[in-house]
Amino acid sequence: MPNDIFTINLNAQAIIPEAFILLGIVGTLLVDLAGEKTASKWAPIICYLSIGSSLFSLALQWSNPVESAFLGSFDSDNLAIAFRAIISLSTLVSLLISWRYTEQSGSPIGEFAAIVLSATLGAMLLCGSTDLISVFISLETLSVASYLLSGYLKRDPRSSEAALKYLLVGSAAAAVYLYGSSFLYGLSGSTNLATIGLEIINKPSFITSLALVFVLSTVAFKIAAVPFHQWTPDVYEGSPTPVVAFLSVGSKTAGFAFAIRILSTTFSSFDEEWKLLFTILAILSMALGNVVALAQTSMKRMLAYSSIGQAGFVMIGIVSGTQDGLSAAVLYLAAYLFMNLGAFSCVILFSLRTGSDRILDYSGLYQKDPLITLGLSLCLLSLGGLPPMLGFFGKIYLFFAGWANHQYLLVIVGLVTSVISIYYYISVIKMMVVKEPQEASEIVKSYPEINWGIVGLPPLRIALYTCVAVTALGGILSNPLFKLANTAVSETPFLQDIIATAKNIS
Amino acid sequence: MSIAITTQIICFSVLSLIILIGALGVVLLENIVYSAFLLGGVFMSVAGLYLLLNASFVAAAQVLVYVGAVNVLIIFAIMLVNKKEDLKPISDIKSRRIISTSICLTLLSLLIRVDLTNVWSLSSPQNSIGEESTIRIGEHLFSDYLLPFEVASVLLLMAMIGAIVLARRDVMTKDISTGLPVDQELIEKSSEPLLTNKN
Repeated sequence: MPNDIFTINLNAQAIIPEAFILLGIVGTLLVDLAGEKTASKWAPIICYLSIGSSLFSLALQWSNPVESAFLGSFDSDNLAIAFRAIISLSTLVSLLISWRYTEQSGSPIGEFAAIVLSATLGAMLLCGSTDLISVFISLETLSVASYLLSGYLKRDPRSSEAALKYLLVGSAAAAVYLYGSSFLYGLSGSTNLATIGLEIINKPSFITSLALVFVLSTVAFKIAAVPFHQWTPDVYEGSPTPVVAFLSVGSKTAGFAFAIRILSTTFSSFDEEWKLLFTILAILSMALGNVVALAQTSMKRMLAYSSIGQAGFVMIGIVSGTQDGLSAAVLYLAAYLFMNLGAFSCVILFSLRTGSDRILDYSGLYQKDPLITLGLSLCLLSLGGLPPMLGFFGKIYLFFAGWANHQYLLVIVGLVTSVISIYYYISVIKMMVVKEPQEASEIVKSYPEINWGIVGLPPLRIALYTCVAVTALGGILSNPLFKLANTAVSETPFLQDIIATAKNIS
Repeated sequence: MSIAITTQIICFSVLSLIILIGALGVVLLENIVYSAFLLGGVFMSVAGLYLLLNASFVAAAQVLVYVGAVNVLIIFAIMLVNKKEDLKPISDIKSRRIISTSICLTLLSLLIRVDLTNVWSLSSPQNSIGEESTIRIGEHLFSDYLLPFEVASVLLLMAMIGAIVLARRDVMTKDISTGLPVDQELIEKSSEPLLTNKN
């Protein structure tokens, strides 16, 4: 037996992108030993290098033949690569917009970067995990890092409250996942997602449905779908804003990747059940997220509720389960990355200059800061789904795919709630643009002079320009992007079964 | 009756007695420090039961996790908040006791039902690997569960660093690149005071 262990082929090259992130973690921690000054100079560079090389090695893996790595713990198929790329890009942008914020709030930079990178590591591993145990460990790495990040500003009671709430609800979700996976293991005697899927076809349906519900509720917690969303607004309001930016994109993307994988491998024979549950979750998320966002006075809370609604849109694509639906979901997540992080970089820039995130305080902003006004307007319009922004094309693909799969109810709810969302997005824009100079808020009247020279602002500026440019001009590129998303889905072996079933039904 | 079985029965009854008395003591004693230490004793005896069942790995894990970590954590928590304080008598203690007793009895009856209805004997004797289990678990950790095993080290490292960052007292008083004063609070100041701020 011991001799066998040395001859096993691990295919460890599948996790080279994660290895670069790990190197980044170690690097930032080592640099941090040399003091805060050195850390603030070198930690960003190390982060850029590690995420950059991680993205590069992901690109090299694209469309390679899929071989199971670590004896069935990890698959680096195209879908996993696409989701891991979205996650590492979102980390890159979140880090770019976070340096100034962390320094201005007086918290250590090296540890912040290291914890963000470990959250990324967990999220990326979650995308490709094909085993209940590795799913759990990577989920916990992501979650524990997120709890730490949301409580990072420890002197602020709101931040501590956010961390405590997130920790308690998150631990409950993890426990529910473990309970569900113990059922799955008991039914099948295996922890491999695909093997479980084959074993549970003929098993008592009550216990498998129970396991399905438990696993789904963990997924719903991670993607903040209604009614598992209660933690979202409070956590988003109390966490440092760059962390919110990461949570709303990176963490959610990982949740979706895990959802697609476990639903289409383990529960592929239960697709009617999970599609019904996901439809309910999607409708509730779109309706509640977008309607409650109308009443918000804080920008961060509004973006929190809007992100709940956006997750509902992505679920349309997953419920339809067709080639087009899944690729539209991937495309929409990529579009959401740019438009949401663009909006967040504007919000962070505004709060860095004024110390406020109340929507009322934005009134009359275009007089003093046209850049934030333009960037925020473009990103919010794109989130609302107005042409010719990137978000419009993302939504169009989703709705078309849903309609083609006869998900009429979902598409109609999606259309109606999109219109509602346009209302609250535009009311922010109206607040910024339409007000006369004398109607401007006190904060805008005493707006500080714009100074890009401070350390940490140039990266924020780069992130802002890139995100806004991609959001505004990406619509033109949406066709090649969609083709890329299509390849991600069509060349992923484990999705082919579920696509075939969806085709037969429609 | 062979000597091995007699020893097993004696060990089992002693351990079960310790567990029962210890658990009763945890619940009934007034002093919380006694309860915490008794809980440690209960955990140790449960580990002894696992040893009797040939599950040496589970026994070791039980001692490490429950006695070494959970129980020590409980005692730490007691030490940190050890304030002399006379607790107010709870007004409707009787109804609360009735509710909690009924919940506990329901759980107990559920467990007894599972105990009586389940078929406990293994389908094939080869399934029980006994002493070999630790070796088997080690092999799994370094073959098909290698990835989660390694990722767990990242998780623990990060949790440790995060705990230190949250707990350490040396705070920065000024922005390291501009020199302006900082307060380690959210940049977005709250417009209305929080409940926790109302002293």
